[in-house]
Amino acid sequence: MTDITRRSVQVLASAALGLGLLAAFAGNPDFASSARVDVRSLARNVEAEEDHVTAVELAEWIKDRRPGLRVVDVRPADEFDAYHVPTAENIPLDKLVDTPFRKDETIVLYSGGGAHAAQGWVFLRALGLPHVYFLRDGLTEWLEDVINPVISAAPTDSARNSFARAADLSRYFGGVPRAGEPATVAPLHELSHKSLAKKDSTTGSTAAAVLRIRGRGC
Amino acid sequence: MIAPFNEYGLLSDGAGLWIALVIGLGFGWCLERAGMGSARKLAGQFYLTDLTVFKVMFTAILTAMLGVFWLGWLGVLNIGRVYVPETFILPQLVGGVVFGIGFAAAGLCPGTSCVSAVTGRGDGAMAVLGMFTGIFATGIFFGSLESFYNSTARGQLTLPAVFHVSYGIVVFAIVLVALAGFFIAERLERRAQIRGERPA
Amino acid sequence: MSSAVAPLVEARERWLTAIVPRPYANPYLMGFGLGLVLLSAFVIMGRGLGASGAFASGAASVAATITPDRARASHYFARYLGADGGPRVDWLVVELLGVSIGGLLSALLAGRVRATIERGPRISRRSRLALAYGGGGIMGVGAVLARGCTSGQALTGGALLSVGSWLFVVGAFAAAYAVAPLLRREWT
Repeated sequence: MTDITRRSVQVLASAALGLGLLAAFAGNPDFASSARVDVRSLARNVEAEEDHVTAVELAEWIKDRRPGLRVVDVRPADEFDAYHVPTAENIPLDKLVDTPFRKDETIVLYSGGGAHAAQGWVFLRALGLPHVYFLRDGLTEWLEDVINPVISAAPTDSARNSFARAADLSRYFGGVPRAGEPATVAPLHELSHKSLAKKDSTTGSTAAAVLRIRGRGC
Repeated sequence: MIAPFNEYGLLSDGAGLWIALVIGLGFGWCLERAGMGSARKLAGQFYLTDLTVFKVMFTAILTAMLGVFWLGWLGVLNIGRVYVPETFILPQLVGGVVFGIGFAAAGLCPGTSCVSAVTGRGDGAMAVLGMFTGIFATGIFFGSLESFYNSTARGQLTLPAVFHVSYGIVVFAIVLVALAGFFIAERLERRAQIRGERPA
Repeated sequence: MSSAVAPLVEARERWLTAIVPRPYANPYLMGFGLGLVLLSAFVIMGRGLGASGAFASGAASVAATITPDRARASHYFARYLGADGGPRVDWLVVELLGVSIGGLLSALLAGRVRATIERGPRISRRSRLALAYGGGGIMGVGAVLARGCTSGQALTGGALLSVGSWLFVVGAFAAAYAVAPLLRREWT
């Protein structure tokens, strides 16, 4: 090893030791510290209804494999395991802000009823992510409008059209479109993938879709 | 915070691939300069005669690790926006073991085998072909591996979280381990030199 | 030897002996350079390096071309293919291309490009090539399971303190050291 080389290596080693020691005292860089809440802009989003999507829209995005789509379920893991929107990932609210979303991703949050997802929307928008939405009435809306949409006995033309759109989606996701009085939707905790999965490949394709959406690989 | 540049809209759409090329150039250059295109040199790691693999790898890890920490602390780099590979405990441990077996046999890893092949080595070319075959076959027959592949998922799990200590403490610990490793590596190489297993 | 070939052979001899391969650079300095490259990837792209991912992307594209049904059925290939199930140019493929070019450039400038098969004195060329191929195949399986290799997991994940990546490093080194004694004849 030449003299210069030896010197350089010694400098590097000392620098590493020094910076490492300082790091031990510095503790933690703050990951979520870049959040800035521009309340005016957020309020404008809410007024213009740019903050949420309907369940039917979400279903179409999933079916069309919209690029960059990430569906996030903010409920606890056991509720997620019982039933979740196909292709959804489970990220509870407290982990949400530490999750590295990318600016080009379209993130749709949902929870049981919609309140937690709405809170998550505020957090992610505060972190500067531009394409964040939530399901206003949560999983309930998904089940009522997509999985088990109902058309009344004497539908108007517009009702018939929106039902046709929903019925297609419902069948795609393994649900049952019906005519007549809306039956009560089964309580969330009684639902499971088994009761809804008609095709064998539903759960398989869910995992695949999640992987595809997250795919960065090394 | 202004970095990662890609996350803060500072890059045009096509720029990413050009950057990939340039970054790759730097990567390949450093590897070949250090001799990592030579399977015989690489394999020396596992016979304790030439510990270049360890030195290069861990110096690189230290540099990038310290860089990320301090740029994050300074508020230049938004660490939350850097993609941390997800942890799958069993598949990654088992995958590591399997990989290590292949590594010892071939004497090259995916990156270095490309450098080796492109500089004229037949064994490098065979390693590249073998790797392609292995990944192709695994992809085709993925169904049978899939449940194991997806098992023990822990999401983005980092050492500070597992050991309940601060990021900085883990950084310091790794620095210490690496520096100690370098010291031992120098000793081992000197011993191999004395024994005639390694040219002076 | 025919008189036409002799001057060519002589010229080739002179060329070969003129380019004396330069000694390798210091590993710590090269590691530092590599670390800076990795850091710049984090800072510019928000992601790290990789190599096996490029192989996976290539394998997925080949599969999509020669056996599209099976390619589409594979949940592993799916993430490397486009929305229509067809081939896609992945960032890692371009990066690995860069690695090859960078390695070649360095070797050319240092006089280290040579058609050869690296092996120990006690093993035949054929056996060495077979071990390289087989080792490569096994590494491929390992890289799929681990979601990466020494570049993507050890370097990238290691620098970012990911638990799974460090498990990969420990597993890989432990296994390699365990198996190496059985392969001594390959190198010495």
